[in-house]
Amino acid sequence: MRRADLDQVVAALRQPIETFVGETRVRIALLINRSGQVLGQYGFTRKYEVVNVASLAASASAAATALAELTGSQRWTHLHHGGATRQLFIAPIQTPSEEIILVAIFDDDSSVGLVQLFFDRFGEKLASLEAFRDAAPTSDQSNFEQDLEAGLEHVFLPDQ
Amino acid sequence: MKKLFEDMLDRLSRVPGVRGAMIVDAQAGVPIVEEMAEGVAGGAVAAMAASLVKRSAKAATTAKFGELRAIQLEAAAGHLIIASHRDVVAVAVTRVDAQLGLVRVEMRNVLEALKR
Repeated sequence: MRRADLDQVVAALRQPIETFVGETRVRIALLINRSGQVLGQYGFTRKYEVVNVASLAASASAAATALAELTGSQRWTHLHHGGATRQLFIAPIQTPSEEIILVAIFDDDSSVGLVQLFFDRFGEKLASLEAFRDAAPTSDQSNFEQDLEAGLEHVFLPDQ
Repeated sequence: MKKLFEDMLDRLSRVPGVRGAMIVDAQAGVPIVEEMAEGVAGGAVAAMAASLVKRSAKAATTAKFGELRAIQLEAAAGHLIIASHRDVVAVAVTRVDAQLGLVRVEMRNVLEALKR
């Protein structure tokens, strides 16, 4: 997604993410596109953590897509990793302009059932946003790094 | 184990007025086995019931009431009876005119069976 579209997308995503976090009680929520560009976040305090999680989640999503194709499972709906204290939920959301990926991290205050339950509604809400109807799809090769940086600039305040 | 859960649900579901019953994984908030009437969203009930148990257990602990055993939720069109033991939650969804005494007895039996 190009720098010019980001303002609109990031602003449009802020409220739905907060609602999703409130309903599911997840600790961290991150929205990225397939390139790993950050479109929205809740709960992170450091930029480098976002960059790491975004790039790993994008690659996990790509691996899941390849695995699903390889095994004939077609479209995958979500990945869940249950850790000792924290759990990870990664799921794709199809919007009219491009596929985006939700990364949610939660502990005992939530559950995978609860996240799954509200994720469907969250996905529908995002897909219906005006911002995704107009936004240009993912960056081309020449602008890739610049656009990744732009995502971080938009979701964090300047002093973070 | 699954057979045990299915037998429990079968007995619960036969109580007059019960629209459905399920055994839920308390940590994940997803059904282990379920028998729900058409139109009852089992997944949503499981997620919400598990969340309610977690929250109520914390409240019970804070109030020094000890271990949470059961929750009875009354609404305009029905009841939700929830009983929990460790990582397992039993849920019964009933109509408003259900024989609640009988449902509670069956829920207690479910709990006893889970403890064994």
